[in-house]
Amino acid sequence: MTIETENKDIENSIRDTAKKLLSEKQVDVILGYSKGTLPLSSTPIIIRKEDDVDKLVWNNLTYINIARYLAPLMPQLCDNEGNPLKIGIVAKGCVGRAVNLLAAEKQINLENVKMIGINCNGNVNRSVIDLEIGEKEILDVLISGDDIIAKGKDWEQIFPYDQYINELCKVCQVKSPSATADTCVGECQELESIHDEFADVAEYDAKSDDEKWEYIKDALEPCTLCYSCRQACPVCYCNLCFVDQNLPVWFGKTTQLPDVIVFHLIRAFHLAGRCVACGACSSVCPVGIDLNKITRKLEEIVKKRFDFTSGLSAETVPPMMDFSMHDAEEFMLEED
Amino acid sequence: MEQKILKKDEIEKLYNELASEYNVYAPVKKKGNISFEKIEKSEDIVLDYLNSKIPPKSVLFPQMEVLFEYTLDEKDVEITDRQDLDQKILILGIRPCDAYSFELFANFFSSHGNWKDEIYLKKKENTTLIGMGCNTPRTTCFCTSVGGNPFNKENMDVFLTDLGDKYLVEGISDKGKEMVKNLSWLSDATDADVKKSSELAKQAEESITATIDSETIVKNLETNFEHPVWREISESCIGCGSCSYLCPTCTCFDVIDETDKYNNRGRRIRIWDTCQSCLYSLETSGHNPRDTKIQRCRNRIMHKFSYYPENYELLGCVGCGRCIAVCPANNDILTILHKVEKIEEKGG
Repeated sequence: MTIETENKDIENSIRDTAKKLLSEKQVDVILGYSKGTLPLSSTPIIIRKEDDVDKLVWNNLTYINIARYLAPLMPQLCDNEGNPLKIGIVAKGCVGRAVNLLAAEKQINLENVKMIGINCNGNVNRSVIDLEIGEKEILDVLISGDDIIAKGKDWEQIFPYDQYINELCKVCQVKSPSATADTCVGECQELESIHDEFADVAEYDAKSDDEKWEYIKDALEPCTLCYSCRQACPVCYCNLCFVDQNLPVWFGKTTQLPDVIVFHLIRAFHLAGRCVACGACSSVCPVGIDLNKITRKLEEIVKKRFDFTSGLSAETVPPMMDFSMHDAEEFMLEED
Repeated sequence: MEQKILKKDEIEKLYNELASEYNVYAPVKKKGNISFEKIEKSEDIVLDYLNSKIPPKSVLFPQMEVLFEYTLDEKDVEITDRQDLDQKILILGIRPCDAYSFELFANFFSSHGNWKDEIYLKKKENTTLIGMGCNTPRTTCFCTSVGGNPFNKENMDVFLTDLGDKYLVEGISDKGKEMVKNLSWLSDATDADVKKSSELAKQAEESITATIDSETIVKNLETNFEHPVWREISESCIGCGSCSYLCPTCTCFDVIDETDKYNNRGRRIRIWDTCQSCLYSLETSGHNPRDTKIQRCRNRIMHKFSYYPENYELLGCVGCGRCIAVCPANNDILTILHKVEKIEEKGG
């Protein structure tokens, strides 16, 4: 089956399930993706009427992790009396992971959420495509067979899909939500653990400490500290982020490298064992910084140390929020 | 002949001549993004570009700027003011929309003369713009709907038109005319060159298909502050503020003090801020007049299309389309404005 036909199947199943859930009053609204106004985009949409389900699309351009809109930081979807609405959410694997994590951290009530599980076939890596096309405007993008075809005014360029999807999608082991039939309809699976070799992290690991430092400095140098990565992250939901606190000031607010590094360092700490590997942070970065390398390394550390992968279950809290007498603590220094 | 010709292989010569007098800023490609940077060698200049990702406002209003530094000595404070404000700045290759944004900046930074931002105004006064016509506007460009034009020469000192293998050079302001005169090695343009330039200008203008009805928008915004459309408009926004960071007319900044108490010194810095951040409008009392996403999304539109016209009789948008291209949720300002256009009059 080609990507093109897979997409059609996924799209049809999303629409059918959404229609069914709405007509049977199992949910009040559907959170999904609709066609964007630009060739390499999609827009998150809230569907309130059965007749509107055809606005839902599946086009491999779903960069925002829509579990973001469930997080407590966002205005909650309520009826006129202020009661929470029941939400059907189009859930690829990483959306499902975020929903589970938010539930495990007691930030959402799963009784109000129904996942419409799909077997995700990845997102197009638009920053690489943009980079390769350069100073030309893309007027149309379509998936034909197994190719991404970008068209401009008098040019056309073909990108093989398997090479031009996000790096995270290439190594993704959780393509559909890990959930039971209670919380998910459609494509779901019950995963307890996943097998991941982290082969993509090997290149970074092979670097010396100095080379790693150079790599991180070089990668983060363009950062403007706009915090788009934080805003897009489905599991960043603090009411007041540490960077915004000014009593006391936790860290400098300039765009000089030390401040930039501190932000990304603390962000990494906060996401250890919590990142759901959706890649939204990198996709939304206005200056195109690839944060996926950092988040993959985080995932690897947590997997190897605690045999934990975030978002596989709505019950298990991440290791950093838990305490176990069995944790290895070889880094603790003895007093004497 | 008023118009001159600059051959494409003469950019280096032009740069060398200008660099002796000015700090030259021009578009460069950094990690795939076009931005205006200080040029150290002419090979870095990229004039064949659509538009810069980060607007050239960053040259005169950098994201982070030290306003002054100070040292403390017992009870005395010694303030060191900026020493670099007399340097002459030249921005090469700026597009008409961005050049116009500097005119809008002047309103904010001089506030009808009530208050003057000396740092910005001084830099602006020392700035010369060698702009360039926009041969290929993008589908997201709508400058012609907000009073602009891809070949608007008004705010430039010198204007270049890319004729393919060479540039047509025109002095616009008195300063620009003088500059062109001093570049005596430029060859004369022919009638055919001038004709080609006006054809390109016409083609560029016609190629802009995105439009808004600014008059209706301004009128509708006056009476629809509480309209349900704002909820709809803000629903997909994730509040990242990229739209305002990359907006050539957004001027908001925050001021922070960095103190180094061990060395008895410090500095006052301004950094870009965004009204899309929840903290932006948080008051000391704890009250936040723009506590919700709906209010913040509305403010962005109101500021550009209602408050700005009210205060300065100008639209606060230059139609560059950067916010459309950058929005991760694809919350397209054209879609938003078209929704505002369609709001029916109350009771109508």
